[in-house]
Amino acid sequence: MLRRTTPLSALLLLGVVACGAAQPPPELVDARKAYERASKGLATQLAPAQLDTAKQALDKAEKSFEDEGVDAPTPDLAYVAERKAELAEATAGKVAAERDAKQADKKFKDTQLEGLDKAKSELSKERQAGEKTKAQLEQERKELEQERVARAEAERKAAAAMASLQEIAKVKEESRGMVITLSGSVLFATGKYELLPIARDKLDEVAKALTDQGYKSIVIEGHTDSRGKAADNETLSLKRAESVRTYLVSRGIPSDKITASGLGSSRPVADNGTPDGRANNRRVEIVVQPLK
Amino acid sequence: MPQEALTAAQASVKGAEVGGANDDPKAQLHLKLANEQIDKAKKLIEDGKNEEAARVIDRAQADADLALALAEQAKSLKEYKDADEQLGKLKKKLNQ
Repeated sequence: MLRRTTPLSALLLLGVVACGAAQPPPELVDARKAYERASKGLATQLAPAQLDTAKQALDKAEKSFEDEGVDAPTPDLAYVAERKAELAEATAGKVAAERDAKQADKKFKDTQLEGLDKAKSELSKERQAGEKTKAQLEQERKELEQERVARAEAERKAAAAMASLQEIAKVKEESRGMVITLSGSVLFATGKYELLPIARDKLDEVAKALTDQGYKSIVIEGHTDSRGKAADNETLSLKRAESVRTYLVSRGIPSDKITASGLGSSRPVADNGTPDGRANNRRVEIVVQPLK
Repeated sequence: MPQEALTAAQASVKGAEVGGANDDPKAQLHLKLANEQIDKAKKLIEDGKNEEAARVIDRAQADADLALALAEQAKSLKEYKDADEQLGKLKKKLNQ
């Protein structure tokens, strides 16, 4: 019995194998590939309904292949299944492109706003800089005006100082500076070097005028007439110059800007042979180096 | 029975044409296949081969649907490219 049945079973088996090994139609091969590709791509997330439809179409084609083999309607069903898989992919591609376009649009708007903010901020900065410059210009203008007023005031004071000096002393512009000459008889008693009370008043005026006018340095020169010993005259003239210097320092003239020297009778300005000439030669000269 | 499906397939072909299938090469190919199959189905119907005609109409319908989907995808991609290009131009302009 085994001998008789075995060849039959073998034949049946051969038939099944032959049937199972039947090559699918190219449409089904393409449909399988298309579905596999679609199911691994964006369609699973972006076109799940279309992908499901494609799967159902492929299942239908596979069932037809099982039942009918390569004959109709298998190739037609597979053809449709392949299109449906491609449609799922195209739909997913469309959705993705729409999503990307939306993002690009949003980015465009955001970038536009950023650009607008940037432009506003730059404009505001420029405006602030402009205002600052305006404020600086105004400040500079004020400073210049103040300087002009101060200079005018200084000139006025200097002129007034010069005028008041000229009332109490002889004032001359020389190459060595401005020379204020005070008569010796006004400042000192004969042979003395202590200042007379009236001298203090005059020197107060001089100190005030010098302070108002400004100066670089001051030299006090003591001069005598030619009577008596030259050495004594020099000593007396120096002491007198120092008296004047000390007094002016006490009235606010800085001590480092004022010096004293005794020149005795070495530089007469008038004839020592007459009483008037000698009176003119007995003097104190204040030589002022003006400010530039 | 095939006549009804044929009308539907023809409508889908029209829809794909209106949807811009002729502007995209791949969509245009499937539109062409759909039209060819519609013509083929018409002949089969004339010959009384309704069953075969129905299968060909299914093919035509699938191609027409795919043509529209491809046309729509192409249109969306173009819109995205345009938007991206505009964005690029704006960025370039702002960075100048």
